[in-house]
Amino acid sequence: MNKLIGNEFLKLRTVRSGWMLLAAAQVMVIAGISGAVARVPTAQLSGVAVKGLGHIGLISLFTLVLGIVAVAGEYRHRTIIDTFLSEPRRGRVIAAKTAVYFVAGLGFGILSAATAIITTTIWLAARGGSFDLGSTEIWRTVLGGIAWNAMFGAIGVGVGALIRNLTGAIVAALAWIALLEGIAGQLLGGAGRWLPYRSGAALANTPSMDGAGGGLSQWQGGLVLAAYAVLFIVLAVSVTILRDVT
Amino acid sequence: MTELSAQVLTKRFGGVHAVEDLSFTAPAGKITGFLGPNGAGKTTTLKMLLGLVEPSSGEALVGGRHYRELPQPRRVLGAVLETTGVHPGRRAGDHLRILAGAAGLAPGRVGEVLEQVGLKDAVRRRIGGFSMGMRQRLGLAAALLGDPEVLVLDEPANGLDPEGMAWLRKLLRGLAAEGRTVLVSSHVLSEVAQTVDDVIIINKGRLRYSGPLAGLAAGPVVARTSRPQELAGLLAGRSFRVEISGDSALNIFGATAEEVGEAAAAAGIPLSGLAGAGASLERAFLKLTSSDVESTAATGPAAAGMGAYHE
Ligand SMILES: Nc1ncnc2c1ncn2[C@@H]1O[C@H](COP(=O)(O)OP(=O)(O)OP(=O)(O)O)[C@@H](O)[C@H]1O
Ligand SMILES: [Mg+2]
Repeated sequence: MNKLIGNEFLKLRTVRSGWMLLAAAQVMVIAGISGAVARVPTAQLSGVAVKGLGHIGLISLFTLVLGIVAVAGEYRHRTIIDTFLSEPRRGRVIAAKTAVYFVAGLGFGILSAATAIITTTIWLAARGGSFDLGSTEIWRTVLGGIAWNAMFGAIGVGVGALIRNLTGAIVAALAWIALLEGIAGQLLGGAGRWLPYRSGAALANTPSMDGAGGGLSQWQGGLVLAAYAVLFIVLAVSVTILRDVT
Repeated sequence: MTELSAQVLTKRFGGVHAVEDLSFTAPAGKITGFLGPNGAGKTTTLKMLLGLVEPSSGEALVGGRHYRELPQPRRVLGAVLETTGVHPGRRAGDHLRILAGAAGLAPGRVGEVLEQVGLKDAVRRRIGGFSMGMRQRLGLAAALLGDPEVLVLDEPANGLDPEGMAWLRKLLRGLAAEGRTVLVSSHVLSEVAQTVDDVIIINKGRLRYSGPLAGLAAGPVVARTSRPQELAGLLAGRSFRVEISGDSALNIFGATAEEVGEAAAAAGIPLSGLAGAGASLERAFLKLTSSDVESTAATGPAAAGMGAYHE
């Protein structure tokens, strides 16, 4: 298993797409925080730090795509054949990818958190506000955001294994986040807070995209998201074992 | 000694009968050609041997075991499938390092196999910029990483120039001579006729012929000489079937023109003419794989003990 995990890291490091996603994520954090802090009225500056740091969690969109590419990308480039020739026990391959992309998501989250904290500090200093790094609210947002990144990395692996067409998988995932979950949330009413993106938003202590509030508590969000990750991976492993590699 | 075998192997994709009741053995120490027209079921069969596709029924075995049960599969079998891919953005050396890592092989093997396939200078280059022939060589390098006892190559001749083909032939010959099992698929007989010892021919998923290449020839090799009796005796002694026709011509069944020519030369018998069975090999192959196979099957006069035609 260690061999497989090391190998997945090597795969990740030796192509450029991961590094490009990481760079794009940092640009998004900087731009997002700048947008949030630059034009807020001076009177509201005190609350803006938490809002800005919420962008750390939104990077989970990138780790989700990263996880999807880890599997569906292998089908796309047909490197999956060599992968399964080296390790015919396909469940172990998926398990190793899950571990690696959880950790990679963690890495994305940590780097994005550093970028976010630095950006926020600079903006607040420029605008004459202050930034209290001792506040629990701030740390809950930062750590929750990092955890969301890690969870979505793992979930991405599951999505990529279930939808092996790379474009299809990415489109499906983005459509879910941008559109379908909103619709499902309205249909489900109160139960909508259990949906994956909203659980992530609850975990990261940020409002979800459509501003639906009154969701889960932070720890509930974390548990629900972990349950989704387990569900996706269990499904991914069984489907990957059963389906022919053609 | 690790042989490849299929035992009443069948695969259906929905209503498509890709492979039907296919049985064969590819023995160690020989190069076996796996032939059939497009869509005959070659790739599907190879994928079943490699545990990538689950048979609907029957067995596909490597040394008597399922590929998935091999403890260190890369050390037993190396394969390049038609559809094996590489990430275009990755460097050749990294690609092989990943494969070596996955198989638990020493990283030092990467340099060795790149040397073996003549890609030593391309180790730092991104694969996206490789020519077709370079990709084939890289695939071969990957298959050779584990120094496997069995080599499975799906259409390796695609994209190779004549020089590349000659190089590949020599490489495969050497590997078979070391006692390894080599299975090479192709949809063109002439592409592999010079390389293989035995052939397995399939059409529409069914076995049409298996046995030595020479036994496939529908027609004989024709030799002309002033000493027909002597040559006939010599060739009969090598267990070829020989007919004398007229006072100077011999029809030899089951031999290649090279074999006849070499035998005659070795015995100092001059030949005034030698017509190979090459054209008839090709004709036999086309006959076996033409679409109305049912009516043309099993018409070729296989020399006794040379190979078997199948309904
Ligand atoms: N995943 C699949 N789903 C449905 N049909 C398939 C699938 N894979 C192969 N087939 C069908 O099975 C048959 C055999 O295909 P296969 O790829 O094994 O042929 P082949 O001998 O390798 O041909 P080629 O020389 O063109 O590579 C074809 O009719 C093909 O359409
Ligand atoms: Mg094929």
